[in-house]
Amino acid sequence: MDTPGADAPTRDQPDHAEALSMRGITKRFGTTVACDAVDFDVRSGEIHGLLGQNGAGKSTLMKVLTGLLTPDAGSVLLRGQPVVVHDPLAAASLGIGMVHQHFSIVEALTVWENVALGDRAKIDKRRAIAETEELSERYGLDVDPRAVVRDLSAGQRQRVELLKCLRRDPSLLILDEPTSVLTLQESAELFRILRSTVKQEDRAVVLISHKLDEILASTDRVTIMRDGSVVARMDTADADAPTLANEMVGRPVALERLAGALGLVDVAAARDAGDGDAGHDFDRGTSPPVLQVVEARVHADDGRPLLNGLSLEVRAGEILGLAGVEGNGQAALAAVLHSLVELDSGSVSVEGTEIRTGRAGAMMDAGVAVVPADRHAAGCVLEMSVAENLVLDNLGSVSRGHRVSRQLTLDNARRLMEEFDIRASSPDSLMGALSGGNQQRVVLARALSRSPKLLVADQPSHGLDVGAVAYVAEMLRDAADDGMAVLLISAELEEVLSLSDRIAVIHRGEIMGVLEPSEFDSETIALMMGGQRA
Amino acid sequence: MNEPAPEFNSHRGADVSRMIVLYVAALSIALLLASTLIVLVTDASPLEVSEALYRGSFSSPSAIGFTIEQATPILIVALGSLIASRSGLFNIGPEGQFAVGTAAGGLVMFQMGGPPAVVLPLTLVAAGLGGAAWAGIAAFLKAVRGVDVVITTLLLNFVAIQVVSFCVNRYWLLQERTGGRIDPPQSPLVGESYRLPRLGSPTGFNVHTGFLLALVLAAAVWYAVSQTRWGFRLRMLGFNPLAARAAGVNLVVLGGGALVLSGAFAGLAGGVFFTATGFRVTSGVLNYGYEGLLVALISRGRVAAIVPIAIAFGALRSGGGYLGATGVPRYMVDIVQALIVLAALMPPVIADRMARARTMRVIRSAARVRESAPAVPS
Ligand SMILES: Nc1ncnc2c1ncn2[C@@H]1O[C@H](COP(=O)(O)OP(=O)(O)OP(=O)(O)O)[C@@H](O)[C@H]1O
Ligand SMILES: [Mg+2]
Repeated sequence: MDTPGADAPTRDQPDHAEALSMRGITKRFGTTVACDAVDFDVRSGEIHGLLGQNGAGKSTLMKVLTGLLTPDAGSVLLRGQPVVVHDPLAAASLGIGMVHQHFSIVEALTVWENVALGDRAKIDKRRAIAETEELSERYGLDVDPRAVVRDLSAGQRQRVELLKCLRRDPSLLILDEPTSVLTLQESAELFRILRSTVKQEDRAVVLISHKLDEILASTDRVTIMRDGSVVARMDTADADAPTLANEMVGRPVALERLAGALGLVDVAAARDAGDGDAGHDFDRGTSPPVLQVVEARVHADDGRPLLNGLSLEVRAGEILGLAGVEGNGQAALAAVLHSLVELDSGSVSVEGTEIRTGRAGAMMDAGVAVVPADRHAAGCVLEMSVAENLVLDNLGSVSRGHRVSRQLTLDNARRLMEEFDIRASSPDSLMGALSGGNQQRVVLARALSRSPKLLVADQPSHGLDVGAVAYVAEMLRDAADDGMAVLLISAELEEVLSLSDRIAVIHRGEIMGVLEPSEFDSETIALMMGGQRA
Repeated sequence: MNEPAPEFNSHRGADVSRMIVLYVAALSIALLLASTLIVLVTDASPLEVSEALYRGSFSSPSAIGFTIEQATPILIVALGSLIASRSGLFNIGPEGQFAVGTAAGGLVMFQMGGPPAVVLPLTLVAAGLGGAAWAGIAAFLKAVRGVDVVITTLLLNFVAIQVVSFCVNRYWLLQERTGGRIDPPQSPLVGESYRLPRLGSPTGFNVHTGFLLALVLAAAVWYAVSQTRWGFRLRMLGFNPLAARAAGVNLVVLGGGALVLSGAFAGLAGGVFFTATGFRVTSGVLNYGYEGLLVALISRGRVAAIVPIAIAFGALRSGGGYLGATGVPRYMVDIVQALIVLAALMPPVIADRMARARTMRVIRSAARVRESAPAVPS
């Protein structure tokens, strides 16, 4: 690969092959070197994968490109022209668009308003709605333009983010983990369309993703980062999942771990075979229900039912997978179990005791821990430190009387950071300064460290790198084997299938049926997801 | 609990030096403007003016004592405002809470008989409760109807002035009987022995014990917001109400409580002023509430910064008083003070503007690059 930075093309002879080249980009945060003299090139007409473990510096590099961060050193060439990008507005005017790892849409506005937001011209409602519809059709991102974002699930919000960015028709599109809460089919469809437009219109896409299969399926070339530096560049055609994973980690990765994380083997089958009669501490068939939801009903502000008489039981020692198309009430159920939403009718009981819904902290006190799908909403406090975030809902454990003990808080943080491999420069780092995957680890660590009776894990692997996904799967399994009840909500059927002891299928706020392992079958589940009862 | 890690939220680290420059520039401009105005309106020279300001505030032990005296109510109000803003609720009604606190204290002082050792503490308690109750109205409306606290606390300021005015115009409440034909709308004077005791020599440096109370409160507030579970939860609520709710923090109880507590501080500030400085309840607007609010704003939530800033505001008052005595009209003093407050608040705004202007330049140059870039072959 030739490096145009070496002899920067002049205005007269632009190098069209390189849509973007970043040269020697260095970005430090205090003592952390997030990007260390990174060279990064993207050609016109390609989809370029950017890979690396959590905290490798991927988001930082892209934030430098969009002007959200000012690099300490290095330069950026766009189609051969040196550019200085001070902020996102400038980036937008240069045709750079980015979908960020974390949502940046306005909750109180409707979908079409969010999509049109930032337009300079007068906004024409009808046209904006039509445009949004047309876009969502074109890219296969189904979402109702008139819905208010507040009522949308994480997956639907993700689609809005994408639409908002795609509407600007950026010539360089940066997608930072855009599909972490989309289904496989959905992301496949999105990339199929992106691929053709990118080729035809000679644009370029940078795709950051931890899903290796997605990278393999949709990119032309990949760049792999480790600890702030680029460690490998290759054509995707020459790569396979183990190569990519090994490059990311820097040493050979145990294959079955990797395979599990990729959904390449049936973990459930492997587990049952392996465990055999070693047996669980709990006989899941007869263990008492930890969570009982009876006839739960919740309405959105506009009167639409979100939960429509949903009934569900999760027993001690089992992982109950909740399968369903995004936006069928999963978010509302998680919110109820997080004490954020009150039921209109129906009841929630934990170990036989009815819990008042919507009352601050009631579920937490009853022993329910939640890993929310959108970690920034109710999962953490970005302005507080990592150590503090690790005890948000467990202050008592680090307090002496009314006083929060700094020492205990730090001890707890060091222990959990070690156990969950949370990469932060110190326990006192602000949560907002962590990479997305490390934030997710904090949320998971906090939930699991309380040894809850019931763990509600909504997209628990959201943003985790390959190794961490496998680790979390193991943690969930172990926790269940020790008698914890786990409610696993996931947009990925593969994840649900590989981890669950039983699977409940949700459709329009109702449970269509609960399947035992012998009945696990993608086709049956797909039918039920479409509204057919078991 | 910890210093913010560098760079989070402020992605341009080099801004620190720029902010210092901006602060210095803003203050200089304010002083320049102020002196020009003074020279235009009176014939005093700027030098004379600044000398007068200094003389009134810091030149002698007694001036310093007077500065501290003026700073005390401001400091107490600011501490309360800090508590409210930590919880994410913005209480802009300290002025009204201060006034109601003064009146409540006055009622106890003048209606209740008894020795000073009983009446004086109860006066201060009543003042705190009065302020708390006044803020409580806003907290109640927020809790049951979701009415915005900024609006209710602001509007309650005006109601408070009317309530106090009502009290000082009724003999059965607070108005003084002078025996003259028309009694002014004010309460009687607080008796010597019922005033907050003073420390120091009467002619040299002396402060009233209210200042010590304020310092103790500052230490207590620092401890409470930064070291306790309550403070932790308060911050959680201020930063992310959703996460706080999931973790068991009740907005009505904790947030409403913080609002009421901040009202109590403002009311107490009124009580301290009444028993240490003013000695009468009047219906005038004293501005200690608004200034306390400004101090809390400028300090950006840091207790350690609140104390010196409050003293600086006290110095403006004492120096301003002295300036007034030299013949500069009172309104000029207020204008000077306003200019300085503006100067203290402007730099962040200016920095933001500058960043925007730079953006626009980049966009324009980017547009040029785009135009000049040749079409891309497919
Ligand atoms: N604003 C910030 N302040 C301080 N440190 C930061 C900040 N942003 C990122 N970092 C640090 O820089 C490093 C790289 O972070 P970055 O977000 O680029 O990782 P990433 O590759 O996107 O990881 P992930 O896959 O988890 O999203 C991390 O160690 C992170 O803690
Ligand atoms: Mg990232």
